[in-house]
Amino acid sequence: MSAMKNVWVFSEKQDLLVELCAGARQLGEKVAVLLIGNPSAADEAIKAGADHVYLMGELEDSRMVEDFLPTIEKLVAEHKPDLVMFGNTKRGKLMAGILAAKRGTSVLADVIEFLEDGTCKRRVYGGAAISTIKSNAEVAIATVGGGVFGTQALDESRQGTTENVDFVAAESKVKCVEKRAKAGATVNLSAAKRVVAVGRGFADKEDLKMAEELAELIGAEIGCTRPLSEGLDWLPRERYIGVSGVMFKPDLYITLGISGQIQHMVGCNQSQTIIAVNKDKAAPIFKQADYGIVGDLYKVLPMLIEKIKAGK
Amino acid sequence: MNVITCYKIVPDDQDIIVRDDRTLELGKAELEIGQYDLPAIEAGMQVVADAGGKVSALSVGPKLLENSKLKKAVLSRGPADLYLVVDDSLADADTHQTARTLAAAIQKIGNIDLVLCGEGSSDLYSQQVGAQLGELLGMANINAVSKITVEGDKLIVERTLEDEVEVLEVSLPAVISVTTDIVQPRIPSMKEVLSAGKKPVTQWSLADIGLADNPQTIETIDTLAPELAERKQIVIEGDSEDAVNELWENLRQELQ
Ligand SMILES: Cc1cc2nc3c(=O)[nH]c(=O)nc-3n(C[C@H](O)[C@H](O)[C@H](O)COP(=O)(O)OP(=O)(O)OC[C@H]3O[C@@H](n4cnc5c(N)ncnc54)[C@H](O)[C@@H]3O)c2cc1C
Ligand SMILES: Cc1cc2nc3c(=O)[nH]c(=O)nc-3n(C[C@H](O)[C@H](O)[C@H](O)COP(=O)(O)OP(=O)(O)OC[C@H]3O[C@@H](n4cnc5c(N)ncnc54)[C@H](O)[C@@H]3O)c2cc1C
Repeated sequence: MSAMKNVWVFSEKQDLLVELCAGARQLGEKVAVLLIGNPSAADEAIKAGADHVYLMGELEDSRMVEDFLPTIEKLVAEHKPDLVMFGNTKRGKLMAGILAAKRGTSVLADVIEFLEDGTCKRRVYGGAAISTIKSNAEVAIATVGGGVFGTQALDESRQGTTENVDFVAAESKVKCVEKRAKAGATVNLSAAKRVVAVGRGFADKEDLKMAEELAELIGAEIGCTRPLSEGLDWLPRERYIGVSGVMFKPDLYITLGISGQIQHMVGCNQSQTIIAVNKDKAAPIFKQADYGIVGDLYKVLPMLIEKIKAGK
Repeated sequence: MNVITCYKIVPDDQDIIVRDDRTLELGKAELEIGQYDLPAIEAGMQVVADAGGKVSALSVGPKLLENSKLKKAVLSRGPADLYLVVDDSLADADTHQTARTLAAAIQKIGNIDLVLCGEGSSDLYSQQVGAQLGELLGMANINAVSKITVEGDKLIVERTLEDEVEVLEVSLPAVISVTTDIVQPRIPSMKEVLSAGKKPVTQWSLADIGLADNPQTIETIDTLAPELAERKQIVIEGDSEDAVNELWENLRQELQ
């Protein structure tokens, strides 16, 4: 999107905001950040790449992040930037959708690449294909995730301006009555070099111990397919790999009882080496693996673990 | 409580064929209800089981929605009746056009307290239609909801975000997008399948819901399969000691 003058960025997550600022610098002449926070957070946004910060106020107990939408909407209507990028968290997606509806347009959802000619790319059909799409709106609205632009070091010497804007209050039909932290949200799989990934080939949660033992022996992290964390609840969501989960490029990816559906494979098909254990010879995973064994994981795993132990 | 659940008919992704020029052949794919819309339907059934009322299903899209197997499939999952808005121009609808069409249909149905959407469609997964629909209808509007409890003229819902869970008080009417694990969708019984054929279906055109003009705001230029990494595809058959030895040899190389 070479012709863009003004690119705006919003994310309630600091690390994502920093990434999007760096990306916005590549896309537009001027970068502005819509910020919830205090003046020192505004300075951080400038170091990350903002030329201008609209400081909308701080998050008080009685306010949800979403309550800042009328303020954002007013600023967008006044200044009409070429593009507004929202970090693609659940909140970001809701806010982008509401803003788009107010403006009578759609959202460029989960963009993975912005091209020079003003088009952009997103994954569709679970990653089986990539669409090139284009917004015809006066103000294009997009959601963008982490990793699309990559991180850049903060530039301590960057200069920018901060403007305090008035909070636009609106009747809120949704009130937050309680908030609690989610347990176990601590793994960062995306940095793992070796991963043992488990799928529905495991009949029981207890049996995952075998996979954990293998992982420990070879210094790998445990990952899984989506049904094992969402639905079965055997592993936390941060551990599922695929189009709607973790996407990464480990050196070694070992799949145990995973069929190899596209939605899962897009998360890991850039791995250096893929090894598969599956009892079904026709499972799609074998076409996407370097080494495979057609066998029962309940037989293969214990033998393999013994061999690794013996070989050490 | 009058509840509408919105579902999308999508191609079964296992039947999608990638042609040599990397374009997709969708014509041969089996059609099904979006996987992530099933929990929304079931969540609607739970709400009326607790609070009384009625669940209606609603889908908008091209002519293929008229397929009687697909109509029965949704009605066998509990809804009392079904509304369809059918127009072939909706095949390439963007999220705004889809949301506008749903909003117009919901206004025509009238007297709705709660609209439920899935987490995202199983094919394009923009996760946008629910958010936009809520705004267009001017209703309370929230996503990522993993639990719904009716409390008088309000809902208490849990919303599962990336690293926190919010408990929210939501006024009615509302549009709520639910998570995939809010509730396990049912497998319809024989009786439910048989009675599905007798439930009423109302079908409208775009003109019927007063939507003659519904311009596109996002253009799709092309859709191509990505190039895949070359893999060795060395497959050993059988789970004998020898086979595992061979696997171990291969693995050992990689671990060095
Ligand atoms: C919009 C959308 C997004 C999605 N996003 C993701 C995502 O991000 N990540 C993801 O993982 N999924 C995702 N999915 C789900 C995905 O389509 C698949 O359903 C899922 O990846 C399958 O998981 P699985 O391989 O564990 O299970 P299955 O497909 O059920 O495969 C289990 C495999 O185990 C084998 N097996 C069974 N028993 C044994 C045994 N004893 N020994 C050896 N092998 C055995 C079977 O042969 C089978 O191949 C998504 C789906 C949709 C619609
Ligand atoms: C290849 C391709 C790429 C596209 N890319 C974009 C894009 O980037 N941005 C964009 O705005 N549009 C895009 N579109 C169009 C758009 O995604 C869909 O056609 C449609 O508007 C719904 O979006 P979705 O399927 O992603 O639904 P989501 O927003 O993921 O759906 C959320 C929920 O809304 C409900 N719902 C969705 N569709 C219907 C329906 N037809 N009837 C009833 N309920 C429904 C369901 O409950 C569903 O769970 C694209 C279309 C194609 C063919």
